Amino acid sequence: MAHAFRRRADGSLACRLDGEEKAIIAQVAQETADLIRADLGLDTEGEVLRRAAQSEDPLRRLEAEFAGRDAREPSDSAVQRLFPAASEDPGAAAEFRRLGQQDLADGKLSDLRRVMAILDASGGGHSEVVLDDADALVVLRALNDVRIVLADRLGLKRDGDFDTVRMLQQIGERVEEAGPSGDEEHVGSDIVIAVYELLSWLQESLLRALD
Amino acid sequence: MPVDLPRVDPGTGARTDLASGVQVRSETDGPWCTVVWNDPVNLMSYVVFVFRRYFGYSRLVAEQLMMQVHEEGRAIVSRGSRERVETDVQAMHSFGLHATLERAGED
Repeated sequence: MAHAFRRRADGSLACRLDGEEKAIIAQVAQETADLIRADLGLDTEGEVLRRAAQSEDPLRRLEAEFAGRDAREPSDSAVQRLFPAASEDPGAAAEFRRLGQQDLADGKLSDLRRVMAILDASGGGHSEVVLDDADALVVLRALNDVRIVLADRLGLKRDGDFDTVRMLQQIGERVEEAGPSGDEEHVGSDIVIAVYELLSWLQESLLRALD
Repeated sequence: MPVDLPRVDPGTGARTDLASGVQVRSETDGPWCTVVWNDPVNLMSYVVFVFRRYFGYSRLVAEQLMMQVHEEGRAIVSRGSRERVETDVQAMHSFGLHATLERAGED
């Protein structure tokens, strides 16, 4: 059972999480990082371009230079929310991506890696997770990015949508109690809802402790 | 780009005139502005935190801007040169807020 973040006497921020909660948070952080890398083509293309950039063939080097200039438009709907168009003018938005998307992705991936490292360092079982103020900022950003991905998977588009999802889930539970059913897909979305609630609660508690 | 660094020292506050509503920080009343859009994910407390932390706005200003985003769907959170505003938009994206840049007077 998780305990909210609080400010300790030494100035650090601490919460308590059990092993399962830590494992789930680490897993969704990993999945978010994998999704960003896959959708923006950061693994494969990066490697190919690096090799081409070091090529003996000047044409290959030139190609690599130009290819490297085009930041890939996100195609996954969640990644589109993490890397939104910066302008309603498509040309300006593309230029903004070209200049900044790589840095933005590096920052988000570094935040997610740091969260996983903090959780790893706190050990496998129920324990305190301790943050300094710099890590608190990293954790706030990373939790938010993971919540954006989960919200996309839950189909949240407008204020209040989560309440609707939650209400439908409760109605579903009541219907299930009335008669046996148990499809995998339903169980899957129940987990996403539970993780989304845990992360929202954790983020809110960290914000309160920082205030 | 060190986007996680606040643009102004925390606590310095912004030039505000509460009598006439929220006045966002402006360098020269430059021709560009940063617009933050509403979304169903970001916690209100997180949006206020980001506005205070990054822009150095007072709690009151940050809360009013957050409410404007929430109720009107969008709010102008900074103005300045194109370069300045691009930096702000990139920083908002690093916090997971949906932000765009536009020429002042477009809305």
